[in-house]
Amino acid sequence: MGVAVLVGTRKGLFVITSDESRRDWSVEGPHLTGWDVFHAMRDPRDGTLHAATNNWVYGATAHRSRDLGKTWERAEGIGLPEESELTWEKSWHVEPGHADEPETLWLGGTPGALFRSGDGGSTWEPVQSLLEHPTREKWNPGAGGLCCHSIQMDPSDPQRVYIAISAAGTFRSDDGGETWEPKNTGVAADFFPENPFPEVGQCVHKLLVHPARPERLWQQNHCGVYRSDDCGDTWERLEGNGLPSGFGFPLALDPEDPDKAYVIPEEGAENRVTPNGRLGVYRTHDAGSSWELLIDGLPQQAWASVMREGMSFDRLDPAGIYLGTQSGSVFVSPDEGDSWVEAARYLPTILSVEACEWS
Amino acid sequence: MVVVLLPSLLAREAGGEGRFDVDAATVREALSEIPVRDLLFDERGELRPLVKVYLDKTQVDDLDAAVTGCGEIRVVAAIAGGAYLP
Repeated sequence: MGVAVLVGTRKGLFVITSDESRRDWSVEGPHLTGWDVFHAMRDPRDGTLHAATNNWVYGATAHRSRDLGKTWERAEGIGLPEESELTWEKSWHVEPGHADEPETLWLGGTPGALFRSGDGGSTWEPVQSLLEHPTREKWNPGAGGLCCHSIQMDPSDPQRVYIAISAAGTFRSDDGGETWEPKNTGVAADFFPENPFPEVGQCVHKLLVHPARPERLWQQNHCGVYRSDDCGDTWERLEGNGLPSGFGFPLALDPEDPDKAYVIPEEGAENRVTPNGRLGVYRTHDAGSSWELLIDGLPQQAWASVMREGMSFDRLDPAGIYLGTQSGSVFVSPDEGDSWVEAARYLPTILSVEACEWS
Repeated sequence: MVVVLLPSLLAREAGGEGRFDVDAATVREALSEIPVRDLLFDERGELRPLVKVYLDKTQVDDLDAAVTGCGEIRVVAAIAGGAYLP
């Protein structure tokens, strides 16, 4: 079995491939020339490639390929209903639905909106309950707009879906998207000094559910790194124990070990580069109690930025960890972060990386 | 009959075709006949702000302009590239 990394960039989609050793890589592409590919994934249920695509002239949409990128189809007109008084601005993230619903997909984006497809991505229907959410007037856009960038399924419960919106916070649905409950207890919004722990308004940068222990969630937030062990009901802030900063964007997990996670901190909101003039990944083995710096194979004179979708992990043993920088390099660790190789360089600005099986 | 000419990205999205012969009375009708109409218009039916339309080499802002007796409608992406897009 081979492995691929789908690399979404400002100038199309690249596919880099390797064997299980994950040491030597080949670059293919670009696909979807002319499109900003905010995120792309391979649906593990049927092998279809899906991409959240945007163009500065022609708007936001989604593409899919059923032949590993040889040909692409664009989704039929994605749009928000007139009564919402909103228009679809950016496609940020496309996520497979639950394994029991093979034709279901979810697409999130700006302005804080979510679409559901019941036909494998041919057509998309807006999730009305989110457009009409009673807390919506308290949401505020971050620098990337009011973006719904994280969509996570609970693998043990097809009715349970999590989303995260910057800056609205984390929301959980226990009824397949009919209703959404804010899940931000314990998560700081330090930019609201009069009330730093509001019900909504938190600036989540990335949210992940652990695939083997789905009641455990991790989030990299504008204001810290957090873990929840109760399906998002409460959150514990984790930095201050080895992390140089709580600010960062991407997040990766170990699919077998729920206590292991990876982040790439930046100096802070006002200076968004990796700290100490080097690119470093921080790993915890103990659910966030402590963090260690991983640098073997990463550039030690670097002022890098890795965007919220710029980190991924595979399902091999040992787990591979992947990151893509805004400066166009993809780094791969085939051994859970202990060592890294540069798999590609001089790509356009990298917006997302997503590892998948490739054969 | 009027000819609609598309720039390269739209032509790729239209299945590799950059030229469409359409029967239409107005510019809007003509643009609505081609398979990338969703990339030209938003969900309210508004022409996207950076899509510019020329009717026989004259820019048209009124999409209800008649195309009777005209030869071609050319779709052009406005000069706006290079802006920093966060």
